Order: sequence, then C-alpha cells, then structure tokens
Amino acid sequence: MIKRILAAVVGLAVVGGLGFLWYAWYPALPKVALPKSGQFSAAQIERGRIVAAQGYCAECHTRQDLGGGPTLAGDYAMQSPFGTIYSPNITPDPETGIGGWSEEALARAMKLGVSRSGAHLLPAFVYDHFTKMTDSDISDLYAWLMTQPAVHMTHRENTFPLSITPRIVLAGWKMLFFRPGDFKPDPNHDAQWNRGAYLAEGASHCGSCHTPRNLLGAEKSGSRYDGAVVDGWIAPPLNEHNPTPVVWTEDELFAYLRYGVAPLHGPAGGPMSPVPHQFLSQIPESDVRAIAHYFADIDHAAQRVSGDKAALELAMQQSKRDLLGPTTDADATLYQGACAACHYNAAPSPVLGRPELALNSALWLDEPNDLFMVMLRGLTAPEGQSGVAMPSFYNALSDHDMARIAAYLRRTRTTRPPWTDLEKKAAEARKLVEIPPVNSSH
Amino acid sequence: MGRLERIAAEQDRALASATGLSRRGFLSAGVGGALLFGFARQARATQVFPAGAPLPPEQFEPTIWCSVGSDGEVNVNIIRAEMGQHVGTALARIIADEMEADWDKVKITHVDTDPKWGMMVTGGSWSVWQTWDVFRQAGAAARTVLVEEAAKILGVTPDKCVARNGVVTAGDRSLGYGDIVGQARPTRSFTPDELTKLPLKPASERRMVGKDVKALDIPAKIDGTAMYGIDAKIDGMVYGRPKMPPTRYGSKVVSVDDAEAKKVPGYLRYIVLEDPSDTVPGWVVVLASSYPAAIRATDRLKVEWTPGKTAHVSEKDIQDHARSLIADKGVGVMVVNDHGVDDAFSKASTVFERTYTCASVMHYQLEPMNALARLNDGVWEIHCGNQWQSLFLPVIEKALGVASGKVRMMTYMLGGGFGRRLNGDYAVPAALASKALGGKPVKLILTRSDDMMFDSIRSPSVQTLRVAMTGKDTFHGMQHHAAAGWPTQVMAAAAMSKGVDGKPYDQFAIAGADHWYNCGPLRVRAISNDLANDTFRPGWLRSVSAGWTSWALEAFWDEVAHETGKDPVALRLSMLNGEGPDGRNKGEAPDSNGGALRQAAVLKRLAEKAAWGQPLPKDTGLGIATTFGQERGMPTWTAGAARVHVDRATGLVTCEKLWLVLDAGTIVDPGGALAQTEGGALWGLSMALCEGSEIVDGTCKDRNLDTYTPLRIASVPEMDIEFIESTEKPMGLGEPGVTVVGAAVANAIFNAVGVRLRHQPIRPEDVLAALKNKSAA
Amino acid sequence: MIKFKLNGSDVSVDGPEDTPLLWAIRDDLGLTGTKFGCGVGQCGACTVHVGGRATRSCITPISAIAGAEITTIEGLDPAGAHPVQEAWRDLQVPQCGYCQSGQIMQAASLLKDYPSPTDEDIDAVMGGSLCRCMTYIRIRKAIKQAAVAMRSAKTGETSNG
Repeated sequence: MIKRILAAVVGLAVVGGLGFLWYAWYPALPKVALPKSGQFSAAQIERGRIVAAQGYCAECHTRQDLGGGPTLAGDYAMQSPFGTIYSPNITPDPETGIGGWSEEALARAMKLGVSRSGAHLLPAFVYDHFTKMTDSDISDLYAWLMTQPAVHMTHRENTFPLSITPRIVLAGWKMLFFRPGDFKPDPNHDAQWNRGAYLAEGASHCGSCHTPRNLLGAEKSGSRYDGAVVDGWIAPPLNEHNPTPVVWTEDELFAYLRYGVAPLHGPAGGPMSPVPHQFLSQIPESDVRAIAHYFADIDHAAQRVSGDKAALELAMQQSKRDLLGPTTDADATLYQGACAACHYNAAPSPVLGRPELALNSALWLDEPNDLFMVMLRGLTAPEGQSGVAMPSFYNALSDHDMARIAAYLRRTRTTRPPWTDLEKKAAEARKLVEIPPVNSSH
Repeated sequence: MGRLERIAAEQDRALASATGLSRRGFLSAGVGGALLFGFARQARATQVFPAGAPLPPEQFEPTIWCSVGSDGEVNVNIIRAEMGQHVGTALARIIADEMEADWDKVKITHVDTDPKWGMMVTGGSWSVWQTWDVFRQAGAAARTVLVEEAAKILGVTPDKCVARNGVVTAGDRSLGYGDIVGQARPTRSFTPDELTKLPLKPASERRMVGKDVKALDIPAKIDGTAMYGIDAKIDGMVYGRPKMPPTRYGSKVVSVDDAEAKKVPGYLRYIVLEDPSDTVPGWVVVLASSYPAAIRATDRLKVEWTPGKTAHVSEKDIQDHARSLIADKGVGVMVVNDHGVDDAFSKASTVFERTYTCASVMHYQLEPMNALARLNDGVWEIHCGNQWQSLFLPVIEKALGVASGKVRMMTYMLGGGFGRRLNGDYAVPAALASKALGGKPVKLILTRSDDMMFDSIRSPSVQTLRVAMTGKDTFHGMQHHAAAGWPTQVMAAAAMSKGVDGKPYDQFAIAGADHWYNCGPLRVRAISNDLANDTFRPGWLRSVSAGWTSWALEAFWDEVAHETGKDPVALRLSMLNGEGPDGRNKGEAPDSNGGALRQAAVLKRLAEKAAWGQPLPKDTGLGIATTFGQERGMPTWTAGAARVHVDRATGLVTCEKLWLVLDAGTIVDPGGALAQTEGGALWGLSMALCEGSEIVDGTCKDRNLDTYTPLRIASVPEMDIEFIESTEKPMGLGEPGVTVVGAAVANAIFNAVGVRLRHQPIRPEDVLAALKNKSAA
Repeated sequence: MIKFKLNGSDVSVDGPEDTPLLWAIRDDLGLTGTKFGCGVGQCGACTVHVGGRATRSCITPISAIAGAEITTIEGLDPAGAHPVQEAWRDLQVPQCGYCQSGQIMQAASLLKDYPSPTDEDIDAVMGGSLCRCMTYIRIRKAIKQAAVAMRSAKTGETSNG
C-alpha cells in the first residue's frame, strides 16, 4: 500500500526547492530512559493495545518475508519501482527500537511526522491520518508499545535511494499536502458515526489504500475513497462509486471488517486480509460497528439499497448459468471444471463459504486485478473466511485460461463493458506474484 | 516383510498417527506362513488385492482357479484386471454358483503374473465370455470332489447327497465344505480333458448367476482403502517424471542441461534412457526425493532433441492420407470379400456412397500412467495396474535385457483402463530408470500433461461405404472401406487376424464393419494408415473399432433409408433376417446362436420402447442404431435410440434420453452389467458430442481439461436400459453400450433438423454450418 | 514445518511450503485415498475438506492450510459409514473407483450447503468432479438418497430431544 507513496516521493525531489528551511527544521528530542515497568496501569496498557490494533501497527512493523520476524521489530519490506525500504523497529529496544523515545517524541511522530532525531519521516508512515488521533489515544499507545518485549534488531539497508529524499524535499511535501490537526467531530452526525469517522480517518487510515493518490503520492482530496491500486490489487471504492450490484450495508461491512467475510460480498483477500483477522477482530465490537456505520453512510447504502433484492435475484439466476447442461461456450466449460463447484449458489442467497462471483467487486471493477490476483494466489486458511482455503491456480491456469475465465465471468455476471487485453493483464498479475504459491503440475 | 504387508503396515501407522484409529476394516492375518490382506465388508465374502501368496497345505485346490480351506473359505483366483467392471465378483459368482458355495465365504484374489495363469489380458469385453466355461468346470470339479468325499464320510453314495450353500446334506446329516476338506484332505486334481467332461448344472439350478449381488471391490473404493498402482510404495523409492521428446518416435537427445533443475531441493539426477525395446525413444527421466520436486525439476530441465520425422504431421495430413489410401484399390486387407461384389457394383443402376470420419480420441483414464519398478532377489518387479500383462512382460524383458521369467507385474487396481492400460509402455521407463540405479525402486508418475502427450489415442479414421442398388429398391452389394492407425499391428502383430486374402489385419481396427445384414455380397476392406502409425502409437479404446465402424455403418443405413424413402427401422429389420452369403448370418452355437434374428429382436423391442415413429416436438428427433457389440465371434446384440433437441440458433445438440436394449445371453451380474452399459453408452455420447482431439505438430494438441472436455454430470441424459432375458452363453458388456450411441445421435439430429453430420465429434459449429448450407441450398 | 489437523489429529509436514497438500497427504502422511487426477483443479479426484469445505488439494499449498482442519476420505466417518458412503455402497456407485473419494467428499460438502439438493444444485456443484467411468446417474441418485437419510436422521435427533 506504500508503493505509490514512495514512487511519488522521488518525483518530489524535483519540487523539493519549494520547501522552506524553517519549515523543515525540528530539533532532536532527548533520549530518555526506558520507562519502568509498573509506570503504566494495566488498564492503560490494554487501551493502548486496542489503539495499536486500530492502527494495524504490527502489520507494517513486522517482517513478513524470510519466514517472518519478531512482532513490531520492523524490517517489513515495502516495494517500490525504485527500490525497497524497510520499516523501523518500534519495540522498546533502546538501541535499535524506540526504547529511548519519550511520549512527546512518539506524539510528535504521530501528529507531525517527525522522528525523535528531528528528521522528517517518509509519508509511508501515514501521519496524515495519525495526526487526527487524540493525545490520550497516543498516550495509551505509548504505554502499550513501551511494555512490549524489546527486540534488538536492525532492519536491512534500504535499497531505496534516500539521498534523493533529503529533509527539505519531505518538508516541501508536507507543506503542500500535510495538514496536521485533531479530528473534528461533525455535529450533524451522531456519536457512533463520529466514532467511526474518527477511527477510519485517523488510526485505521482507510484512505491510505482506498483513496487515489496524486503524482506526488498524496491522497487526492477530491477523490476520497474512490478506490486505488495497491500492490497489484485494487482497493475498491468505499463510496457510492463502489460497483457491486448489492450495496455494502452496515451489516455487510461489519461482517467483513470483523470476520473477514461478508455474506454477500465475499471474503477479504490480499492486503486487506490482515485488517479484519489480525486487528479489527481484536478491538471492541462497537468500534468495528462504528466504522461500518460510517462507511454505510459514505457509500450511500440507504439510498441505494432498494435495488438489492432484484440484484440478488439476478445474481442467483446467473450463478447457475451454463452449469445445467451442454453449452456451446468453451469458456463456460472451463469455468464449470475449475470454479463452479465452489462458487455456485442457489436462490435465495449465497451460502457462506461459496463466494458469489456475480456479487463480488472483483468482477465489477474497471480492471481484473483482484480476480487475477486471487486466482493466482488463492486464499490461505488465515485469510478471507477463517479456516478455509482457496487453491492457487498459478500453475493450473495459463494466462490464456485466466483470460478466458475473466472474460466469461465479466460478460455473463456483470453489466459492465468487457475487460480488454486480458491475457496481457493476466501475465502482468502473474509477475507480481513473485513466488509461485504452489508447486503443482500443469 | 513383504511388500504388501509393508504397504499395509505403513498405511496403518500413518492412519494411526493421523487419526488415532487403526486402519478401518483392515485385516492382516497370517495364513500358512504367508500374509494376505483384504478388506472387510458387511457380508463375509471378500476380495484380496493384490496377493499371490502360496497356498497353505490344508487347502483343497482342484484347479488353479479356486481352493477350499478347512475353515470353509473359498478362494477364487482372478487373472483379470479390476478397472471398474467388478470383474472378480462376476467371475467368482460363476464358480461359486457351480460349486454350490456359500457366497459369504468366498473371497477373490487378484493375482500377480505367473506363467501358470496362461494369457493374462482384460479387454474386448471378453472376461465373462472367456471364463464362463472354465469357471463352471472348475466349480463343478470342486463340487464333485466335495460331494464324493462327503458321501464317504457320511457313509452314503454320492447320489444321495445334495450340495447347497457350502454344505453337503444326505438325509438329516450334513457336512460343511470346510469340514469335508479338514477331514478328508482331498488332493484330487483334474486334467483339462476331465474338466470338459464334468456335468454342469442346468440354467434352472443357478442360484447366483443372474442374481443381484454387492460387488466385492466397492467397499474399498468408498472409504479410500482401495490400492491402485499409484498408491504402491516401497521403502527407499525415489520419484521420477519423464521429460518427453517432441515426437513419439525417432527423437534423439542432443544435450541435457540440469543447471536449473539442480536448484530444486530434492532433485537427484536425470537419466537419458537407453531403450533396446524402442518403446520410449528419446526419453529423459528426472529423479527426485519427492514427486513435487520431480515435477518442478523436470519443468526446469533443459533438453534439446533432434525430433523424429513426424514433428509437423497434422490430423489433416493423416486423414488426407487415409482418403488417398481408400482411393487406392491395391492397399489394405480384405476382411470380407464375397463372390460377386464387383459384379454387383458394375451392374448397379445407382451406387450410393458416403464417407464418415472420426477425430482422435484420448483415453483420459483418471489415474495418470505410473509404475513402480525395482529389482528384488534377481527378479524385476513392476508394480502397476495393467490390462495385458502377457503382452508387456516380454517388452519389459527386452528393454531390461533380461531373460524370460525375470520380470513380474504385481497387480493393483486400475484407476480406469478403457484400453489405455492394454498397452503397458509406461512400465518401460520406470524399469529402465530403476536399472540405471542398480535396481533401486523408482516410482515413475506422469503428470496429466505428460500422460496426454504419451496417450495411445484412438486413431482418427476415414470410412467410405457404398451400396449398389437398382432403382431405390434392391440392394445388390455393399462395400465398407476403413483406414486408421492399427494398434494391434504396432504392439501385438502376432495377435493379428488373417484376411480372406491371407494378409494379416488388425481386427480391432475393423470389427463392426463385418455386419449381420443381408444386403448382397459384401466387401470389407481394412487399411492400416502408416502415417498414423508413424506419428503416434495407436491405442485400443473402449469398444475399439466398433466404436467408430458402427458410427459409419449405422449412419449410412439411415442415409440409405432416407435416400430410398424407407423407414430406417423397417429397412434394418428387412435385412436382419438371418440370410446372406455362406449362411453366415444364421449364427453358430454357442456364441452366436440365433444370429441376425436376435439383433432384429433387440431392434424391435427398442423401437417399441422408444416409441419409434411417434411425433416429437419441434427440432427434436429420435435416432436409432443397432450393432452386434464388438465382434462377430462374441456378439452382444445391441440396439440404441437417442432423443435429441437441436438449438437452431447456436447449433447446440442436447441429448435428452438414451434407450438401450441388449441381448448378451445370460447376465451373470445384473448390477455390474447395467453399470457397464450405462458407462459405455455415456462414453458413446461423450465421443459423439463432447470430446475429440486433433493432432498438431505430431502430437495431440490437448494437454488437460482446459481444452479436452469429456462429458460431465450436467450433460447426462435420462437413460432406459433393458437386457433381454436369456440362458444363452454370456457375451461381453464392457463396451457394447458405446457402439450404438454415436450413430443414434447423428440420426436423431437428422430427424430433428434435417442435416447430416458425418464427422465425430459433432460440434455446435458443425451443426450451425450444416444448417446454413441447408437453408442456402 | 507446517502444522495442521488431519482427520482430527495434529500432524506436521516437514517439506517446502509450496508442496501441494495432495502429495503431503499421500506421500508424507501416507493416506492414499485422495487421488491425483488432472493436477490442475479441474477433475475433483483430489478433493478433501479444508475447514469443512470441499477443496482441490492438488493445487492447494500446505502453506495455505497451516493451522486448518483437513478431512480426507479416510476421516469422513470413523466407520466409513457417512450417509453419503452408505448411499454409495447401497447404489453400487463406483466402477473403477479412482474418482470416488473426491466425488464423495464433494457430495458430503454439497449436502452441508444444500441439504435438499435439486438436480440443478447437483449438476452445478458436482460438475467439477469428472468420472471417466461415467457413473453419473448413480452419483445423482446416491446424493439424493443420502440427503433423505441425513434429513431423517436429523429429524430423529430433534424428536429425541
């Protein structure tokens, strides 16, 4: 999800001159002794755990390649076309982690995007969202972070040329795009809505993946939640432009965010998968409900939901299409052998565990990215619906076969125009899956 | 510990560790110092699979086919491959019925190869037909001795004794078979000549033959315990996968580069096979410690070949060559060449001629080809499922360079035969790879893609049929010319038949054309397509030639009927009158008693059942066809009807219902007979409408199910199958169901929308094109 | 080392993470009832249950099922008497039998989703399971028979409290 930001930062060097030295300069804050255990109350630490889960800290601060790394010890690889950067260690290790950070230093990083040393942080660290967090949430987060096991571990050398991102460039970027400041509740909405908005816009930083970014890697303010490409996947629009035929209601959103699978819209895949399973399942249900409530408003569910019954009926009709006898369509025959056993549904409604493709955003988006990514990678048991898996068709379907299935589904299960250049796009998606998930024959 | 016990013990351990349970229903018991294993079932009759252990001394073995133990257990040795026919059950019923055994004490043993079994082959739907007399005699032998011995013990004359259900009774006293064996310890055995003289039970006294029974092989196929060739394991074995050359023959390895393969963990080495039998020329086998490693390492192994000369042959080349062969009167073999046929054609006022073609068809047996080979105590063991052990043992011996008797095939179940495993070529690379490792066990498995590239396909074929007529009424003669690859010529030349001109021909590439119709003097000419034989290894495929000669013949008769304004059923019945040259259509006891009249009878019954001649909805048609199954020498009188609907907009043909009526003589195992006919008929439908490949650059273009599309469940029509009650000798049923469906479908399409399709498979685009041509004309 | 539950017991496989579950089950764990057919997830012979759902094991890497519950034909029922197996036995469904483990696992899963399956449900869900012997007519019958047995067993349980 960070790739786009990094790519843009390079371009930023060009406009770096726009930065002003005064804006760029922050003092280093003194290194402090690691807070003593017992300094924080158990209740505060627990509140901090929840804040950390709301913000998915462990996701980007834990190594995932090379068999994984210690939680929060950093070295998570963020790929970009220009190289790889590795996230820092945020365990309380005094030398390699943030053990020497004061609460003030953490708060400054979160609210202003400035490191303890005074250096500007790359916007890969999404302080444009964290700035909206309350002081008390940051204080609780500090308590939790400082009581986690310290891990002495440095991250790998960035292959990203940091020399082209001097302080002044980042300062310029911040000046152009970064608006520090607390979350402002909207008095026109109730407390639940505002709670959802606070989390979504702040700690949970939904827009960092679901809002398109401009050439310089900043979220486009006029296209909030219009959807964007992340690591080859499309993070779908979260507003009224979401194309699925059945709208994302509060219940659908809640199920998806809490359990990783929505009865009508299917499972969470790709970069979204850890969000429910590792984080939002670990926070109070009322918070998840609040986020769902907020996005049901953002996507205008109430205004659009009247069409759902007909859309669902149509989808159930389409689900059995070409499966009930001979067909002239060779692509349908391929779909029948490879996909239908798991994806067929009968009226009145999809069975949980049988993701209904006619209702899934993957078929309705402008590009087939998500469909291809899930076909190639499959879904592991911890992803999507817990405990079940989708196989990896990496070796089982050629680019040509993937294109056949995609074209078939698009033309039979949606009302959208056909996707173009499918075989080429399948090949591109295949390249993004660096390690073939399964060593099967073909 | 022998291989079976080891396999069993290993599975037991694995199951115990995985489930905490002992292997369900698993029996492993010492019998006379040797071990056998089998699977428990609800009734006590069991099957042992595989086995081949020596018999303990307290057993009575009147023939090699069965034995009776002092515990009353009856073992029946089965030399036929179990590939879905429940063959062991059917055969054991024959012997058990004749010997008046208690079925619950019968077990069957699928034996490994041994010269004492004679010819080991399972194909041509022959098993029951070939075994019927032998097993009844063997059963009679056992019963005769048991009754005589019981009479001695009971102090009566044998004629006072009655044998039933494993017990001999005289008055109010009785003795079980086990007790008789235990007390009398009979040792008498029978010469073949003595066997043929034993009195057999009349049909009215049969108590098992013709009665429903649960197949002995089925329980193990429902709980995962059935052992197929691919399930065989031996300690220390390594896994192999072939890297196959671009052409079936003539490719030579130029260079091998395993730099990339070496990066695959588990990769061991590659072997360029040296094959004196020339079964797998140009093959390289990749060995690894696991099969997934072998898959990946093979993908990464780079081999350069000089390809054989057929590297660019296409299906069209082969079919064009077939047409030119048919046009050349000087080639081929006369299978039938009645006096006067040339005369008839030269004098005819009209000659009606049509040509029919069939595409290449692939076996796609679900268990990919595999074999496990090793050297054990100086004997090469080949563990696999196989249909024609007698054919392939000599080939493997030649490949290994060992003397006759030095190779044994160890028997396992077959995950589908359909004729593919009549050709044991897949055992050769396993044996050669093991030889390269000094006899260490090598398990070679082909991936599906490998398997399809290596398939012994049903050859594409071209057939031209002619009838000589005067006006539209009288037939004076007929010709049937068929050109295709000849499997028997390529793999078992010694087993070919002789034509009337004295030349050898492949009966499995023409049978079906030598029909029972009386239509004047007949010429049947079989032509070997040498380009087909050179390009691929032609295979026997379910119903062999009768699957495609009947397609042409039975479509042709419908065309003749329409041409002459006759009813297709009436036309056939008029010719199935038992008359004809040399009296050959009268039939001969015991195999074809009744002759053509029995074929007429099944056709009449079918027409009745399918309501032939009744009106049908628009674009819906009923088509019929009739055959004699596979071969004149073993006729299963078969009639089939298909009702199809044709969608004029898309050309899609939907088969709504199939009817079959068969007279196969005595039906030994009714459930098995019905299952075989259901499966056969659906194979016929699959080949008629769903599946067919094409040779491109020397090999079939299809490599898996993404493009090769056999019939699946949704396209299965309603079916109505009937067997004529009969006490005649039993004929085969594994394949006749296939033979009628293709032509019935084509005839039904014509009756539905008036277009004639002469190529199999019939694809929607062909139907559309034909409809378009018709409306243009 | 990948750990998961196989037929209710904890097992581990010490092989590359991309090993297909099929070969781990067959070769490492020694349960050979699950079969290799097409290798590309289109014939159904390798079908097992992952978390109770029918899954093609030939293209599912063991890395994807870490911690999951796997059921094979050997573990569908401790006595081999799952209602689907009973119906299969009663109607003598298998011929060569090679696809039948997969057919049975797929059918058992189908009946969980659709306890009273229509012909459409059966055609659509079982359409991914190829039977080269063409036992389809009996498969269809047996699924319906098993459905009846499962429903009446359930009714019986309910009425027994």
